[in-house]
This record gives sequence, C-alpha cells and structure tokens, in this order.
Amino acid sequence: MTQISRLSRTDWFGPLLATIIAIVVIRAFSANFLSSFNIQILLLAIAVNALVAYSQMIIIAIGQMNLSVGAIGGLAAISFVGMIEVWGIPAPLAVILALAIGVGCGVINGVLIRITGISAFVITLATLSIFKGINLGITEAQPFYGVPDSVKAFGSALVFGPIPWLVVPTVLVAVGLWFMLSRMPVGRFILAVGSNEHAAGLSGISVGATVIIAHGISGLLAAIAGVLVVARLQIGQPSIGDDWLILSFAAPVIGGAILAGGHVSVSATFLGVVIVAIITQALVLFNIDPFLVQVVLGALILAAVGLNKLRARAPIGQGT
Amino acid sequence: MKTYIHAITMAGLFGTAAATSALAADDSRFGLIPGGPHPYFSAWEQAGADAARDYGLSASEYKVPQKWELSQQNQLLESLLSQGYNGFLIFPGDPVGAVSTAEEISGYGAPIIAGAGCYKDPSPAAFCLGTDTGNSAYLGAKELIKAMGDGQKRIAHFTGFLVDPNTQLRIDAVNRAAEEEGATVVQVIADIDAPEPAEEKINAYLAANAGDVDGIITTAWVPAVVAANALRKMGDSGIKMVGIDHDEVVLQAIKDGVVDGTMLQNPYGQGYVGTFALDKLRSGCTVKDDAPFGSNALTDKFIDSGTAYVDASSADTYLDAMRAETDRLLADFEEKYLNCN
Repeated sequence: MTQISRLSRTDWFGPLLATIIAIVVIRAFSANFLSSFNIQILLLAIAVNALVAYSQMIIIAIGQMNLSVGAIGGLAAISFVGMIEVWGIPAPLAVILALAIGVGCGVINGVLIRITGISAFVITLATLSIFKGINLGITEAQPFYGVPDSVKAFGSALVFGPIPWLVVPTVLVAVGLWFMLSRMPVGRFILAVGSNEHAAGLSGISVGATVIIAHGISGLLAAIAGVLVVARLQIGQPSIGDDWLILSFAAPVIGGAILAGGHVSVSATFLGVVIVAIITQALVLFNIDPFLVQVVLGALILAAVGLNKLRARAPIGQGT
Repeated sequence: MKTYIHAITMAGLFGTAAATSALAADDSRFGLIPGGPHPYFSAWEQAGADAARDYGLSASEYKVPQKWELSQQNQLLESLLSQGYNGFLIFPGDPVGAVSTAEEISGYGAPIIAGAGCYKDPSPAAFCLGTDTGNSAYLGAKELIKAMGDGQKRIAHFTGFLVDPNTQLRIDAVNRAAEEEGATVVQVIADIDAPEPAEEKINAYLAANAGDVDGIITTAWVPAVVAANALRKMGDSGIKMVGIDHDEVVLQAIKDGVVDGTMLQNPYGQGYVGTFALDKLRSGCTVKDDAPFGSNALTDKFIDSGTAYVDASSADTYLDAMRAETDRLLADFEEKYLNCN
C-alpha cells in the first residue's frame, strides 16, 4: 500500500494512468486503434513532438520560457533541405550544420537574456520573429523539395515491427536528458538555477553560463525536431514549427513541470506528449465535428493536467 | 489621439496620392499581399513582375506577412502604404476584420482589389478576384465520384483553415455534390493546411479507416500533398483521390497514377489581372455599375479567376491550362468590368 502511495506521487504516475485509460477507452470504440499501422503513425508523431516538448522543458527547468522553439526548429529544417538543394551539401554535413544553426539560435537567446537582463519571454518573442523572418526570407514561403532519398528512406523506415527509425534519435535524446538532469553537474546546475537563481549564484554556480547552456540545448533539440520533421514530411515546408508552441508547454505541464523552474521530468513529459498524441488521434477516429476539435482538445488536455495535479499531494524535490 | 496622429502622419505622406485621380502608370507601385506564408500565393510574385513589365509599372511586388494573423497583415499594409505603395491586391486575413484597414488605405487614394479571398460587403475593395471555391470543390467532388465508378462511394474530405471563409463553402459544396450523386461524405477533417497536423491527422485517419473509405477529396494545398504521399506509401489501396492546386508532389502523384486528378486554381491570373486592374483603377477607370459580377456568401462583386481539372493526360501541360484561364479573363476584362473613358 505504501509502495502504491509512493508511486502515485511520482511525476509519471498520473500521466501513465491517463495514457492507459485513454488507450483502453479508445480501443473499446475503435478496433483499429492498436493496429500495427496506427501504432506506427502514433510513434512518428510522438518522436517529433517529444523533442519539441524537451526543447521547452529544459527552459522551464531554469524557470524561463522559450517562445522561439518553433521558429528555431523551422529555420533548422529549411536550412537543412536548403543547403542540400541549393548548395549540394551532403545530407550528413547538412544535418550537422542545421543542428549548429539550432544551437547558435539558442545561444543567441541565452546571451541576449543574460546581457540585457530582459525576461526570456520578451527576448524569445523578438527572436521568434527574427528567426521566422529569416526563414521566410530564405524560402520566400516556398517549400524546398530537394530532400535526398536517403533522408526520405530514414523518415519512413522501420527498425522492426511498427517501430520507425525516427524514434531512435528521440529515445537517445530522452535518455541523455535524463542522465544529464539527474547525474551530471550541468543538469543539477540547471535545476538549481531554476529553483533559486540567487542561491545558485551564491553556491558558486555560474548562472549566466547555465542559462546560455540551457538555451543552447533547447535550440539543439528544436533543430533535431526540425530535421526529423523534414524526414517525416519528405519536404522542407517553411511553416514547419508554426504549431509547436502550445504542445511544447502542454506536454511538460501535463508531466508535472513547475513553470517557475527547478522541477521537470523527462519521463512524465514524454507521457504528456503521448497523451496529447492519443487525444489528437482520438478526435479524428471519433469523427468529431471539425469546428469543435479545438474545444475538445483543450478540454481533454485540461483534464489530463487536472488529473496529474490531483495526485500530486506532496512536493517532490528534483528532476527525474 | 493616437488615431488622430496616425491619420495626420499618413495624410502627410500620401496627400499627393489622395489628391490625384488619374496618374501615370510608371508611378504605379503595387503590393500583392497574401494572408500569410503559403505556397499557393507564390505565383503572385511572378505574375506581379510580369504585369509590371508588360504595362510599364514602377513595381508590383509580392509581400508576405510573417504569420497568418490579421494584425501582421495590417501592419505590413500600413508599412507599405507609408513606403509609397499606391495600390493593393489583398487576400483578406479576415473577411470582416480586415475591412477597417482596407478603408484606411482606400482613404489615402490607393485602390484595393481582394484576391483569392473576398471581403465581406460592404468594403472599399473594387471587386473580389478569386476562385469560385464552392464551384471548384463541387466540380472536384464530381470528378472524384466519377473516378470511383460503381459500388460504394464513401468520401473523406480533407480541407483547410476553419478561419478561412472558403472552407465552409468547400465543405458545403462537396456535401452537395455527394448528395446529388448518391455518395456519402463519411468524414471532414479541417484546420490541417499546415504540414504537421495534416501529416498526423490524415495518416491517423487512413490507418484506422482505409478500408471504410473509397475516395478522398482535398480542398487545401497541404492536405493534398500529405494525402498524396500517404496514398503512395499505402500502395494499392483502391482509394481514389482528387486534390487541389499544383504542388509538384501532387502532379507527380497524378502522373504515377497514385492520384486521379487535381483542381487547378489560377493564382497567376489573380496576380496578373489584379495588377492590370489596379493600374486601370489608379489611372482613372471606374468599376461599371452594371458589371456582370457573380456573388458568393461574402460579396456581390465577385469575379471568378478560373478553375480547371487536371488529370494524368494533362499533368504535363497544366501551365497551359493556367495561362488559358488568364488569357480568357484578360481578353475582355476592361470591356466587361471597367469604365475607362
């Protein structure tokens, strides 16, 4: 009984329970929900969305927010395909350069926040516009079609069964983030700065460097998501990333992240992404009136967050 | 007070524009403004450049708001006005909400034409030059039903932004065509004219319901691309599809037999004829009182820019179809719609 009580206080218990309930209910009404093809479709969505959520989660961990996650991901995505199509750069090198662009954008965010002392909300709102503007300047709102066959193959290939290759980078990132936040000094610094920036500074932690590193990681994760979206869509659309903002906050919050900083959960955020993906798909499967989809989606996300808050009766000290 | 200062500033900058009614073409500097970034409108850029060259205009330039937000479009329009642009072809970011900015611009003497989408009457737009979206969707649905042949006719309809007034027209038109032909629209998925939601929802739908649908009609650009790719991945699904517009992915899918056809719109014609008409209006022409306008749910001053069905036999020559629609429109445009005495 004590064991169950302890489990119920973990970040991942509520989202896991909501996920299981959602799967059981939807499966009861739709026989195809757990078909191999449908699981593959779900995993493809989760693979990208988890990276988007992690990109925001790492910023939430330092008590800030990054409104430019989607703009960074979109810029990295079209840069990736653009470099291949226009300059003929090999795909592996283009991936590295696109990820470097993501890191660079994140570092710019972090540096501007530290130098100016202006809130991350304002800075990333401004850089969102800048990064998106660069995107449109490069593409002129036109897609890049020159995605190489190797990238297309990666986007549609399966490891085994219904498991797509696209989930592999996401799993590696999730494990890496968990290890960093729970085992590495930089991860502990990030959570410490998020918990109490002043105390962290007095403890000898370089707050400025930590903030810049967190934004650099956020940019890197957004860029990885952008590259994976290109592989999945097989096209370099300039609008990639436009819809990421709500999801990037919803999943960590469903996963119990504290927006003031200092506490995030890699596993629970992942489950938050799973819940949003299942809800989104359920709305399609149940043929919800298109004019009501947004209302129902918002209500269900609210319910998922509420369920998680109800079980969280005791404070928990750190990231997991 | 703020509005007052704004008005004075604008008046100072554009007093000369407002004071003139007939100006030389080489002073004409037009902005072609979509509602936001979208590949559909890219043909406006070439169309504007071609028309500016052909009619000796100073410029007719395609300018894109950064996002599909009315406020961004309004800011862009005011900025261009202050830079000396003196005529606009605009896809209204909102058919009602965009009217006030259009009135402001029109008040400084810059003619306005609604392109690809219409303002809600009354508005200062001279007229609305766009696809008869309802008719295009209706004809596309008819073509799809014809392609499905005998047997069950269950149709899935993938369409665009719910805030786009054309979306409801398209939904209604597809339903009407289905009803007339004894077909059933089993699902409408909307708000997916962006790559990621389209990918997620269309694939989720097909994963669960591929066996329960006989045909797909798409009435927005991105869903057409995503559905074409999904059908290609599924292989021989037996599902027929009619798309919309001329994305490379859709045209290639038609050539490969994955997709049956697509309903072309004529964005090039909108940009070219729109620029031509703006120049005429700025040069002193007026819209005829008895011009043979059509009407739709938003306006009684509608001009159909044309639509055409393209299948495998015409996929290589679709540009000719678009040019033919433009030539047809331009041939008697001045005579039908304008007084230029």
